[in-house]
Amino acid sequence: MEKNNSGQRTLEIIPGLISWGIILTLVLLAFIKPVSCAVIILVFDFYWIIRTIYLTTLLLMAHHRLYREKSKNWLKLCPENNFYHLIIFPVYKEGLDILRPSLEAIKNCHYPKNKIIIVAAFEERNPNARENARVLESEFRSAFHFYLSTFHPDGLSGEKRTKGANATWAAKQAKIFLNEQGIKDEDVILSCFDADTCVNKEYFGCLTYHFVNSPKPHQSSYQPMPVYNNNIWQAPSFARLVEISSSFCQMIEGMRLEKFVTFSSHSMSFKTLVDIDYWPVNMVSDDSVIYWKAFLFYKGDYRVIPLYVTVSMDIAYSNSFIKTIKIQYKQKRRWAWGVENFPFLVNGFLNDRDIPLVKKIRRGFHLLETHVTWAIWAVILLFIGPLPVIFGGVFFNQMAIGYNLSKITGLLLHFTLFTSLVWIMLSRLILPPRPKGVSRFKNIVMVMEWFLVPFIILILGSTPALDAQTHLALGRYMEFNPTPKSKKVV
Amino acid sequence: MLNAQRIRGVLFFLSVAVFFIGLPFILSFALGYKFNPRTFKFTQTGLISIKTHPQGAHVYLDSKLLNEKTPVTISELLPGLYSVRLELEDYYPWSMQVNVEPRRVTRIEKVILFSTRPNVKQLNQRNASFFYFDEEKKNIYYFNREESIIYESDLEGEKFKEASVLPDTFKGVPKGLKLSPDKEKAVVFNSDQVCILYLSLKGSLLYGHPPFVLSYPGQKIIQVFWHSDNYHLFLVTDKNIAVVEANPKPNKVNLVNLNSGPAGLFYDKDKDILYFSDYQMGTDGVIYENIYKLELSGKSYIINNEVKSRLNGKE
Repeated sequence: MEKNNSGQRTLEIIPGLISWGIILTLVLLAFIKPVSCAVIILVFDFYWIIRTIYLTTLLLMAHHRLYREKSKNWLKLCPENNFYHLIIFPVYKEGLDILRPSLEAIKNCHYPKNKIIIVAAFEERNPNARENARVLESEFRSAFHFYLSTFHPDGLSGEKRTKGANATWAAKQAKIFLNEQGIKDEDVILSCFDADTCVNKEYFGCLTYHFVNSPKPHQSSYQPMPVYNNNIWQAPSFARLVEISSSFCQMIEGMRLEKFVTFSSHSMSFKTLVDIDYWPVNMVSDDSVIYWKAFLFYKGDYRVIPLYVTVSMDIAYSNSFIKTIKIQYKQKRRWAWGVENFPFLVNGFLNDRDIPLVKKIRRGFHLLETHVTWAIWAVILLFIGPLPVIFGGVFFNQMAIGYNLSKITGLLLHFTLFTSLVWIMLSRLILPPRPKGVSRFKNIVMVMEWFLVPFIILILGSTPALDAQTHLALGRYMEFNPTPKSKKVV
Repeated sequence: MLNAQRIRGVLFFLSVAVFFIGLPFILSFALGYKFNPRTFKFTQTGLISIKTHPQGAHVYLDSKLLNEKTPVTISELLPGLYSVRLELEDYYPWSMQVNVEPRRVTRIEKVILFSTRPNVKQLNQRNASFFYFDEEKKNIYYFNREESIIYESDLEGEKFKEASVLPDTFKGVPKGLKLSPDKEKAVVFNSDQVCILYLSLKGSLLYGHPPFVLSYPGQKIIQVFWHSDNYHLFLVTDKNIAVVEANPKPNKVNLVNLNSGPAGLFYDKDKDILYFSDYQMGTDGVIYENIYKLELSGKSYIINNEVKSRLNGKE
């Protein structure tokens, strides 16, 4: 990302400026025009209720689809094909306890292993990289068509220490190797997985089916549904709730195809990856920016196809409550750093003459709106909502709106309780079976823990997004800070 | 998937429609407007908020019984004068004329409904001629004139017991009872006598003598206060303010001479300051009524030490 370009800086400032502008304007209005502030709050509250009900309905539909397609034998549905699956695992500090289950999951997949090529992409700067690579190679070399270990050198010119830089290095190494083996780029379907990603047995069958049947397979990304089931029974309530909510958000996004963007572990055409010159090596949000790169490359004719199979990842947590909050906060802030896609996308739009203007405006607005809403919603609902009543003075409190504000807000927000019940019910349905040694009592805990939601909203609702946008606006760029994951708690 | 997208499209437009149709009604209601479906116009209204203690009172608005009971908010009222009547069985009714203003809330939120059958409970088990209420210990001390005994009970009349007996030398009708700050002693006084009683064994051990009476014939004792040292007493009579020690042979020091019995008295027990009123003739021959402040904390430290050393000696 160019830092010194004034146009670029302006675009970086816009999201934070809008978010802070809305918040500060509302705070100011609460003092000087409490009635106007109250009216805006009511409009926002009502919008939020409608939005919550709408999104929960989408979640129900997505869940129904996931449930319906769970037992499909995708491999059987796939026609004969010559596609190879190239799976890259960018690794930094993750140890064997994380990588081994991920590779085991692929090994146990319901898909021919002679069509699967694994690339374990290590960072050269990790002192354990070579030893871990050697152990894994000895265990898994014979299980797949090819198994490669790559070691990304530290400090390459123009690079930041990001996952994208490592993945790009690995993909380039893989290309050389594949071409040497006579495998063409267009015959390779790439999956870039976080190190803790354990795929569903049907994943590659489902992916191949959709790739083969897609009208434009190279102009599509393929997004599985991320769930955090690997250690969900062991994780503390706070972390578990946050990650279940993240899974649900992704399932909802999968229903909104026109806004759908790749997230975390996903797949795409290897040819497309090569054509768009791989992942950016200096941006943190590699998982989403790769979509926007392809979108710009194909002049807006690029999409994400949701795959209704799950990939399971680890919930990041610690044995200390405060540490768990910190880990979760940092992870959400890194996700919110996806706001760096906004200047990237607008710059791309400005340099493009082929994408229809309406499409540019719509996609740019969606991206901006998503991040701004993320940064302000909890602040408005929890902090600004009561301000007119507190600071409006006697006059405001004698007004009908002064009296009605808290009552109507309370009533409207009670509607969200119904949606919470749906979320609780669905969270039970996506749970893996209870492991031996975990008490039945945990089932009750997992329902009761939903009472923590207001507390979570307070901490992780808007703050990480506001934090990320403020950093971007101030030009204090975030380094890639991988979420520490371990089968043993941190 | 296409079908799902079609359903989603319908849902989206349905949500947008609900938002834009519902929003004017929510906002107009919040702002105090009422929609008239006949005229398709919004009319300004006001509302009345009623809260009572106890809750659950029936509400009559212009003599019409409403369905809800208190606490209740009556909304969408056209501006004007309304009569509000609140009724609850076994409680006195409450009524008021209320003026409802447009877009305003009229709050009737501090209504206490008083019972027609007040909850009165007798606390004493012996005749009580007067009582002293101890806020800290949550106790009541009352004096039985026939037996010359001070009884003690908690605020429910339970834990009843005899606290102390007045000596025979105390004559006449007691006027007041005061507990020392440490709750070990009590002073009972009449017009010219002061009796010191011990409320616990510790109290009598501390001073080494039984209850005793101090007599001040020729004076009219108006009020007695304990000093914070639990040892000195301030006697306010119609002639002076004096300090005496709480022992059978006390020193008595006249602190202030008064021109008349003070009309007002207040003792700040935290700071040992006595506020009192008195008449004073000015140099112009006119009688002025003044309020005075008398600081009494000077000797307390020394006296306290004396008391402590005595206590240590006993132990």
